Amino acid sequence: MSTERPILSDKELWQRLATGRPAAPVTVSDMDFAAWLEGRLPEATAARIEAAVAADPALREAALDLADILGKPLPVPPPRIAVRAQALVGFAAERQASRTSWWAGFLPDFGGSLGFQRGAVAGITAIVAAVGFLLGGGLGESYVEGKYASLQSTTDTRASGRDAINDLTDLFSDNT
Amino acid sequence: MTELSQIDLRSLATGHKRTWDAFVAAASPLINAVVRRTLSNQRPGEDDVLDAAQDVFVRLCAHDFRLLKTYDPARAGLSTWLAVVARSAAVDFARRRRQSTAPIDEVPEAALAVEDRHVEKLKIPEGLLTERQTLILKCLYDQERDVSEVAQLLKIDAQTVRSTHHKALLRLREYFKGEAP
Repeated sequence: MSTERPILSDKELWQRLATGRPAAPVTVSDMDFAAWLEGRLPEATAARIEAAVAADPALREAALDLADILGKPLPVPPPRIAVRAQALVGFAAERQASRTSWWAGFLPDFGGSLGFQRGAVAGITAIVAAVGFLLGGGLGESYVEGKYASLQSTTDTRASGRDAINDLTDLFSDNT
Repeated sequence: MTELSQIDLRSLATGHKRTWDAFVAAASPLINAVVRRTLSNQRPGEDDVLDAAQDVFVRLCAHDFRLLKTYDPARAGLSTWLAVVARSAAVDFARRRRQSTAPIDEVPEAALAVEDRHVEKLKIPEGLLTERQTLILKCLYDQERDVSEVAQLLKIDAQTVRSTHHKALLRLREYFKGEAP
């Protein structure tokens, strides 16, 4: 029987060893991680990040995946990714520039379109004018009033003339 | 199409619409690639990839572009930083998705595995290996990556990885009065 210990391969040797775990998990900021991935950190800082990456399997996996992705041509993304993301930001800058008068601040914001805003102003103006007109009696009533007024003045004139003729007639009939 | 490096970051951080649109167009390929890789072990549908990518962009513009304003071009390139942010967002998305529905039969056993604490492992004393040596050994053996991938990660050539790996193992074998390789 052999008393010699079996020769371990490098992998077997490593698997029989346990590295010490840090007392508390080290947090690596996105900025530090990115700088480390690009090899831009000074040696001491890089060593700290490497210790954190070595201790955390998820961080290690992330580092390897990102290094692989950043090192090769990227596939064309589905167009919907850009369409949905672009809709997150509206024309705020243009909206702010178009608000030149104080009353524009009271207008509803139609998603930043100046055309919609002007349409809303015209619409509101028309509504106010129409309501005022109706409250004032409208076209029909004013026409009737005008007509009545003209008729009244004509009738009054005729009535006064008829009275004068009747007086004269009475005057002459009494004298004969 | 505008490259990421050509984006006016000051204009972007103020929410300028046209700059945002150009940024999205330039960043979409990278964010798409990172999100797909991160979610790959969950076999995501196309809608999951779109939702996860949208999460990334929402993070960037949320609260008046607060996250975007933390980016420092003097420390790292915009592509690398975006890739890191996209990875974090995709991991959070995957975690939320896993919590909502995960029938136990569909989860691989390895994901549920618990480390057998009864196996006594020899402890490597602190300081025996450098941080880089430990990282290289973990990538090669725990992560089962090859030398070229580790070289790409650490921005060193493959020969340096092999050399560092060799020196680390010599130290371990010497310390544990090891078996010859």
